[in-house]
Amino acid sequence: MSLTTPARSRALTAALLALVLTASTACADDEPGTTGGGSIKIGLLASLSGTYQSVGKEIRDGFELYLDTHDGKLGGRQVDLVVADEGNGAATAVPAATKLLKQDRVAALTGIVGGGSVAGVYPLLQETKVPLVGSNGRPEIKDVSRVWHTSYLSDEPGAAIAQHVKDNVKGSVYAIGPDYQGGWDELRGFTEAFAKAGGTLANPDGKTTFTPFPATTNFTPYFARIKASGAQAVYTFYAGSAAVDFVKQYAQSEIKDIPLYAAGFLTEGGVLNAQGEAARDIFSVLNYSPDLDNAENRGFVAAWKAKHDGSPTTYALASYDAAAVLDRAIGAAGDDPTPEAINAQIGKLGQIASPRGAWQFSTVTHSPVQKWYLRQVRQDGRALSNTVVGDLATIGR
Amino acid sequence: MIAVAAGPNRIDPYVIPALDGVAYGLLVFVAAAGLVFCFGVANILNLAHGMLYAIGGYTAAALLDGGWASLALALGVGVLAAAAAGVLLAGLLTPVATGNHLTQALLTFGVALAGGSLLVAGFGPDDPQVLVPAALDGSVAVAGHRYAAYRLVFIVVAAALAAGLYLTVRRTRAGMLVRAAVDDPEMVACLGVSPTRIRVGVLAAGGALAGAAGVLGAPIIGPGADTADTVLLLSLVVVVLGGLGSMGGTLLAALAIGEIQTLGVALLPSAAPFLLFAAMAAVLAVRARGLAPRWAAA
Repeated sequence: MSLTTPARSRALTAALLALVLTASTACADDEPGTTGGGSIKIGLLASLSGTYQSVGKEIRDGFELYLDTHDGKLGGRQVDLVVADEGNGAATAVPAATKLLKQDRVAALTGIVGGGSVAGVYPLLQETKVPLVGSNGRPEIKDVSRVWHTSYLSDEPGAAIAQHVKDNVKGSVYAIGPDYQGGWDELRGFTEAFAKAGGTLANPDGKTTFTPFPATTNFTPYFARIKASGAQAVYTFYAGSAAVDFVKQYAQSEIKDIPLYAAGFLTEGGVLNAQGEAARDIFSVLNYSPDLDNAENRGFVAAWKAKHDGSPTTYALASYDAAAVLDRAIGAAGDDPTPEAINAQIGKLGQIASPRGAWQFSTVTHSPVQKWYLRQVRQDGRALSNTVVGDLATIGR
Repeated sequence: MIAVAAGPNRIDPYVIPALDGVAYGLLVFVAAAGLVFCFGVANILNLAHGMLYAIGGYTAAALLDGGWASLALALGVGVLAAAAAGVLLAGLLTPVATGNHLTQALLTFGVALAGGSLLVAGFGPDDPQVLVPAALDGSVAVAGHRYAAYRLVFIVVAAALAAGLYLTVRRTRAGMLVRAAVDDPEMVACLGVSPTRIRVGVLAAGGALAGAAGVLGAPIIGPGADTADTVLLLSLVVVVLGGLGSMGGTLLAALAIGEIQTLGVALLPSAAPFLLFAAMAAVLAVRARGLAPRWAAA
């Protein structure tokens, strides 16, 4: 018995060694000696655990869907997609990004759910000179030369819907949102454009009411104040659990008959299922809806539904478009798609065909100049869904 | 004439928040009672208490289908599941000496983290939908305002639960043992009652209470990734405000929290972020033992 153990372990070591040797020779074949048809490494960083994991998984799935429907290639090159977990924010995102950028040496980075994570990863991008084609969070960034976003800026949804609210609401509008950077930006976008359009806020002091975030789970006291203010409509932005609480409580409150307008995230994706009937008739503004009538979108939604339950969200769409951007930029970068070359080509893309309708990068902000849509939660077959009811402004500089 | 009209109008906007404060406070009471009970009676600091509530909440989300029968089923399953989790905790705590709060806190906190991850892995990261019985899924008129029907009924049910708990502690043999264990645990042990039995019983009862709160409170504090933390935090605030010994104190503290979170926010919205903790600090500064004395004296 005592003799067999070392013998067995020696055999095991030999087997492992053989495995390692074959694996390393296999790798050697893949080295980028073969130009033109070679492979390229892309890093995808998204929240696959923690509070934002439902958004993170949509972002991963959106990117993978593009690869699956394009033979696993971007710009004619086989893609080696390295996925890393962003976690809840910069504290976990920065080590994950460091691994992608310095160890895996990816040619481009994509994804990133949180604006705080982007801000944390930003110095690494400057250091390694790798472009980021972000598909969600976008903080305030001074030098955007290597940062691109296929999503939107946080103040754009509110700015896009303000004129419509002014034209359709006879009276003042109550603005309410969560007390953190995202909430401030979303609500500022609305209140500034709304004031410019000549609208008045119903809030007693003329300023947006901000609720403690994420501590607020009971909105009843705020609803009582909205009732007392005499508002003819409410504009809001919440996402995640807070969106579920807000919508469910709104539907049973004394202001349930006051029209509710919101940034689209209030009723986007998984939260709509949790809200159920309570979300019916809510108006929201977003850059995408799965029922948009164009050829790209029909193909995108069909491919999505073949793999997943339910319809794609704006998060999945932005990531799908990030893959499309990289596809064209890598293709245009020629024989040697270095990070610098890819970054230069992204700046020359012009119009990008997309399920949301054609859009292009703003030369100032490197985020989309795109059309925004007015949507309403309506019955679609057995489930409730965000249905496009009209076009709003095209926003972006 | 104007003065007469101004009177009710000034109070009017606060009727619903005040009523909602009662509903919220009673939910906090039922949720926190288990934690206070375990701490006060068995001297066990159970930081996995919020997870027990979340078990009830997820059970409700999984089983409720809009009918009354499903509510009864969810209540039964949720109470049993959370009580079983409580017994499991008691088993894990067996090697830990009674009163060793640091080890208890670390152990139960670890269980809470692991259990919370398991719940999210099992039920998904999104908040699930909670379907209350159709008859309660609307709003009713209260003093000229609309108020959620479910919450109105919840006030009655939670008040009945609180009364039942009070009677159990005051009038039954189990209640007598519990009160005796608070007063003099050594003497109870000398009388031949095994401390292990009391510990298991108390944690199971605490779990059952949290499970019931989780099922019935699911439409108010719904199940989700943050639920366990929210409930644990509120329960600990109840312990600080209400002290450890008495049901009266717990109820008073829970109702105070409810009113602070609703009426307080309606009156002083700009102070909303720190209202609750300001109240807690004030109570600690004025009366460090909480608002009322021990369980037995209630």
